[in-house]
Formats: sequence, C-alpha cells, structure tokens
Amino acid sequence: MSAAPLPTESAAPILRLRGVGRRFGGLRAVADVTLEVKPGERRAILGPNGAGKTTLFNVISGEFPPTEGTIELFGKDVTHQPARLRARAGLSRTFQTSRLLLGLSVEDNLYLSVLGAKSGHLLPIRLPRRERQMRDRARAVAETIGLADRLRTMVRELSHGERRQLEVGMAQASSPKLMMLDEPAAGLSPAERNKLTAQLMALDPNVTLILIEHDMDVALRVAEWVTMMHDGKVVVEGSPASIRDNQLVHDLYIGSRYKQ
Amino acid sequence: MSVAAPPSTPLIDSIRSRRIRITQLVAVGALVLFLAGAPSVVDSFTLAQILTKALWLGIAAASLIFLSSYGGMISLGQTGIYAVAGFTMANLVHAAGGKHLGWDPLAATAVGIVVATAFGLLCGAIAARSYGIYFLMITLAISVIVFYFFAQVTVLSGYGGIRSVTMPAVIGNPITDPIPLYYTALLASVLVYVGIRYLARTPFGLALQGIRDDPARMQALGYNVPLHRALAFGVGAFIASIAGILSVWYTTQISPGGINVAQTINILVIAVIGGLYRLEGAWIGAIVFSTIDNYSRVWMPNVGDWLGPDRFETVIGVIFLVIVLASPGGLVGIWEGLWGRRRRRRSPEESSGIPTKGAVDDAVDHPAAV
Repeated sequence: MSAAPLPTESAAPILRLRGVGRRFGGLRAVADVTLEVKPGERRAILGPNGAGKTTLFNVISGEFPPTEGTIELFGKDVTHQPARLRARAGLSRTFQTSRLLLGLSVEDNLYLSVLGAKSGHLLPIRLPRRERQMRDRARAVAETIGLADRLRTMVRELSHGERRQLEVGMAQASSPKLMMLDEPAAGLSPAERNKLTAQLMALDPNVTLILIEHDMDVALRVAEWVTMMHDGKVVVEGSPASIRDNQLVHDLYIGSRYKQ
Repeated sequence: MSVAAPPSTPLIDSIRSRRIRITQLVAVGALVLFLAGAPSVVDSFTLAQILTKALWLGIAAASLIFLSSYGGMISLGQTGIYAVAGFTMANLVHAAGGKHLGWDPLAATAVGIVVATAFGLLCGAIAARSYGIYFLMITLAISVIVFYFFAQVTVLSGYGGIRSVTMPAVIGNPITDPIPLYYTALLASVLVYVGIRYLARTPFGLALQGIRDDPARMQALGYNVPLHRALAFGVGAFIASIAGILSVWYTTQISPGGINVAQTINILVIAVIGGLYRLEGAWIGAIVFSTIDNYSRVWMPNVGDWLGPDRFETVIGVIFLVIVLASPGGLVGIWEGLWGRRRRRRSPEESSGIPTKGAVDDAVDHPAAV
C-alpha cells in the first residue's frame, strides 16, 4: 500500500515506515504498512478491533521489532533499537489499558516520566536545582491534566478517568517530539471525553501526535489526517472529512448492511 | 471528572495530624534513648545475645527488604553475599584457618565489602533479567554456590571455617566487652536505615520503585531496566556485606555452617516476620527472632517434656505461619493496620517514599515481562 499524499508541505518526515509487518506465529497482525508522518502532524489511526493498530504502535515504540520492513524515527533507522532509546530520542506513548506506576504518587509518576527522557537515571543523590526543575515540570503537567490537587495521592487510589488523564500527562511530561496515544478516551464519560479532546487540541503545535481512537468524534476532531487500518493493512488514508464520507469506512465500522 | 474530595475540616485535621506526629516523635525519642543507653540498662549477655545480634541480622534482612520493597525482587542470595564479605575479611587478617595474611583489620574490612559488592553486581547482572520465581531460584543458587565454595576450598576455609579472627582496635574483644561492637552495629544500622530512606527519594531510588511497579512501562519511558535492577542488587550486596563483616566480629569466626541454606531461610523469615514491605521490619523481625532464639532454649523445657530445648525452629516456624496468615505485611503490617484507619481519616494516602504493601505484592506476584 503506497502512502497517500500528505496534508503538510514537504518537511522531512518525523516517522517513516516502509513495508512494516509483524507476525505472531501464523498470525499476520500487521502487514506491509508504509506511511509517513510529518513534524507537527495530528494523525489518527482508525480501524475495527483486531486491525493491528496497537501492534503497529508497539512496533513503532519498540516494544518488539517488526518481522518485516524498516522504521525511521527522527531521520534515523531505529528498526532494531530498544524502546528506551526511542523514548530518550523523543518518543512517548500511552497504553490501551493504563500502565501506571501504581505504588507511587501522581507527582512521582510524572517526575519519572520527566526524568526518563533525561540523563542521570542512576543518580544516587538529589541535586537540588535539577530536582526542582523536574518537579516543577511534573507539577505543571499535573495542572494541565487537572490533577494538581492530587499530586501526593497514590496512583492506586485514582479513579479510572483520572488514570487515563495521568496516562496522557505522562506522555506529555517528557516534552516529546512524537506522542503516540493508544485509545486515550477508552472508558471515559462524555464530559471526560470533551475535556480530553480539548486537552489534545491545546497541545503544543510542534508536537507530533499519533492517536489510536475508537471514538470517531474525538479522533476526527483532533486529527488532521487519518489512516484507516483493517486486517493489519492500511486501507484508506485521507482528511477527516473524506474519511467521514468514505463508504469503506462506514462498511468497516458500522457494517455494510447499513449503507445509506 | 474526579471524585469529590471528602469534606475537610482543617482544624480537626491539623490537631489530629499534630497529635499523631507528637506520638511518633515520642516513640522515636524513646527508642533512640533506649538504644543509646542500652549498655547501661540491660546486662551484657542480653546486649550481645539479643540486641547486637538483632542489629546485624537486621542489616542482613534490610538488604533483602530493600530489594523486595523498593525493587520488587525477593532475593535469597543475601546470605551468600554477606558470606563473601565475611570470608574475604577473615582470610585477609590474622586468624586460625584460611589464608591468615595478617592485614590490618580495617583495611581487610574495606576490601571485604568491596569484593562482596562487586560479587553482588556480577550476580545482579546475571539475575537482573529474571523475575518472580526465576529470580528467587537464581539468588538461592548464589547462596548455595557460596556455601559449597567455602566448604570445599580448604585453602580459603573448609568446613571448619576460620576461627579467632583478629578484630579492629575499636571493637576490642567482643566476648569480654560487647559494648563497642554494640555501638558499631547500632551506628551501622542507623546509617543503613537512613541511607536507604534517602536513596529511595533520589532519581535512582524512584526509578527503582517505578521498575518494581511496571518494568515494561519504565522501559518505554526511557529507562535501562536490567542495568537498574543489577545496580540495585549491587546496593543490596553492599548492605549485606556490612552485615557479613559484623557477623564475623560478633562470633569472632566464620564457617560454612553459619551461611548455609538454613541461615538463608532465617534471613527471609526475619524479613517476613518484620514485614517485607517496610524497612523498619528488618530490625523488628530480627529482634523478635533473636529474642525467641535465646529464650526458647530456656523456657521451652518447662512447657513440657516433649518440647526439648532444640525446638527453636518449631517455635519460629509457628510464629512465621501465624504472621504470614494474619498479616502478609508482618509485624509492621499489623501495626499499620491499627494505625491505618486513623491516618486514612486524616488525609488520603500520601507518598512518603515508603512502598505500600499492595505495590510490592503486585510486583512480586505479577512481574511484567520486559
């Protein structure tokens, strides 16, 4: 599947996948995905369950390597680079089910996200100025995700909505160049969804965002370009408007019986 | 979106929290006074057999609890590691058996600690990618290997071990005058406790707790998880090596019999009785252990003919079972259960750099594969 024309003018892509595939035994979860994401782009990846969206995310973030194809991130081939080096280079992500550090406080979770992108993970002492900077950043992020009054609360005690909020906050805290959010709105109430959407739309325009989202409203409001996946393959790419009107998208999401 | 905060009554809260803080201060003050003045309060037998012993056993258990509560790693290798420190030191100084190289005891102590820490780092590098039961088995193997190594390499020890180990001048002869060793062990315990509590709030310590909670997540945040765990194991080895040195000074000898699998289990039992999730538990478990160890031999024959003086293991085993069943958090867990309700009423659970039982349970029971 060749990449469709991109919405932004020709800047070097921040992420480039060429013929990426991933097999699990006999299952081809992702097959021959070729796509480019430009700096500052807002990209949504849509598709029904089992389309291979999360597997694609895992391959991009380095949870596991692809079985075929190459991945270029920030202009470098990272196909076989471990996840932690991609994170250090400026990639952050969230997980479909919250993956938070439950035994630590909200502030410490954000702090560890800030620290993760920096050097000095092994420092056995506290350097006051450095610590203050990182704590300030953690608290500032807590403010933007509406958890400023929960800083010292153990994450274990947070509600589902708060945890989702914190997931996004952790992806933001490291000041990444590329943020990948895996269904950030899953399980949120309509009010929480609106809040999240506003939060995503308020992101620094320089941050590139890739979003997996089942909620079409959230996805199509935030994204400026949409990649539609089905059976591990990219089937359609286009602007939100064109996706909204695309018959194939309707068939995949709603079922072909409900053709208008 | 968030759950409404409970109605707060600042005045009552502040009075209550101040009262709890004062209670804690008084308790800590009393403990400090008792420990500092213990040599003039208790007889020298009790001082040596219970308090000093509890202090060095506590440090050994603290090395285990450090790894389990902050790193989610339950290690059975701590005995093997402290044995390396003890044997190295004992071989370097004047002694009966071993290499008896005649080094200065303090220099030998420093080398012993360095060698054991390096050994710990090596073991950590091997074990760092394993989780749960696999980690447990690898670390048990460390203790078993060290036991057989010193039992069979007669140049360095042999089954008879190394006796009459030369003490540093500051310790003197702990058999005739147990007070200097007591204070040394007390100082070492305080330093270990304060050191671990400090380390827990540093970038290294916080990242370690993050790894305890979710190694894969930490990897995705940019952390080198195996390296971090290996280094943490090295820190645990450093702490264990201090216990190893103190144990040799305490008994003036070291032999494979004192570092066998039974001793490995003893350290684990101490940690579990005290509470695997709280650092304080190490010394609390150790004092319970050494007290029962001593007095069971005296009073048990009075309970009944069938309870001979050698039934210490039975007693400690029953206590172990009762505690594990009643409170997985050990004695500290029971204490916290009593205080928890009051504190929870005061304010939502706060992070104080101290791991919670639940966090460690999760890390140990469901280690996420990296």
